[in-house]
Amino acid sequence: MTRMPDATAPTSQAYLAAAGPEFAALCTACGKCFDACPLVDSIGLRGADATAVTGGLAQLARGETGPDATVAWVGACGKSGLCIAACPQRDRGLNAMMLVRIARQQAIVTTKQLAAKHDPAAFPRVKTFARLQLTDEEQKTWL
Amino acid sequence: MALTSEKITFWFGCNMLRHAEMIRLSMLLLEKAGYDVTAAGGPGYCCGTPHDATPKAASTMAQRTVGRFNEAAATEGRSTVVTWCPSCHIHMADIMAPGNPVQFDVAHVTEMLAAAGDRLAPLFKREVKRRVLLHRHHGFNSHVPVNDRVAALLGRIPGLEIVEGAPAGGHMCSSLAAVKGALATAVSATWDEAAAAKCDTVASIFHSCHREFVALEGRDGIGVRNWVHLVAEAMGLDAGDAYLGWRTGGAPDISAIERAGAENYGRLVEPELRKAPPVPAK
Repeated sequence: MTRMPDATAPTSQAYLAAAGPEFAALCTACGKCFDACPLVDSIGLRGADATAVTGGLAQLARGETGPDATVAWVGACGKSGLCIAACPQRDRGLNAMMLVRIARQQAIVTTKQLAAKHDPAAFPRVKTFARLQLTDEEQKTWL
Repeated sequence: MALTSEKITFWFGCNMLRHAEMIRLSMLLLEKAGYDVTAAGGPGYCCGTPHDATPKAASTMAQRTVGRFNEAAATEGRSTVVTWCPSCHIHMADIMAPGNPVQFDVAHVTEMLAAAGDRLAPLFKREVKRRVLLHRHHGFNSHVPVNDRVAALLGRIPGLEIVEGAPAGGHMCSSLAAVKGALATAVSATWDEAAAAKCDTVASIFHSCHREFVALEGRDGIGVRNWVHLVAEAMGLDAGDAYLGWRTGGAPDISAIERAGAENYGRLVEPELRKAPPVPAK
């Protein structure tokens, strides 16, 4: 079982708006999350200044423009999750993967440093797959 | 282990709709484990995770989906939501629940089945003589030790040998698609590892990995199965894989295409089935 946290906000959007600055305040930009990330190699940033890259997380999470390297890194996040355990601030409540995620979202929505990637055909496609395979009863009761 | 008769909702996500037999087999296994199961998924139960770029829409989807599960808990006593998709599970724990009071527990299907291993193992009556490379990712183990749970379940199958591959980055293959070259690197690494270890099967844990690997079916004498197919084989159940058949040159029967709409099939589905494999043939 995964323990579900108690709700601390009236909506997910409100939670994220509050969590960004809270996580940013906890981050010390030590660089350990960046060093633990396996996708750093895939974007050619291994060897970059980890403290500088992670210093940009707090900026982005607060909705401020971040360094290009930070933007490239958060844009590549595949939720490997190794950053969570690597973070020395974890016991104080910092979920490093969530901080990266919020930073990425802000880079898309607020600072416009990342392009939004949305496939408008995604839902119609899975609905078509459903009609190919599911019985009428399955479609009625499952979807 | 006593029958639990606990009522659960199997929340299979959106993209699992490509793999109807995986949904049905998962439900059957949960029933064999003693649960009273209904299924829920598709866009009407979207978690919102693909919609980070539109926070209000994502938030509305999260609210709707939590509300539907809360209602099932209140009116039907379905007090546990059992996930398949790691994206949905992570999103529920990290974003949906903190913004929406939840009245249910959340567990992953592999946790539930591994915990019921003593009940399920006697049903594994057929030997499955395969040497299997288990394709794994780092991600999601922060929330559920899924790699260990799948290995534990497969370890109960008589005749089956497991080789655990080095984990790839991300939480499943689709999470690597945005990084140029990362998906091909991960798929190649698993495939090469399987060939080097003289495996005859690569087993996927998640659907998005499965749909990448099936395009390589038969290459180097290696076949592709999802873990749930292997369990079904051990139980003597039909373990067919429609998506694999379509991805390797087959097609749905004409009546299914007509039911789905020929135009929709040609525009939305066929390009996916006919795209190049993630790794070109050597």
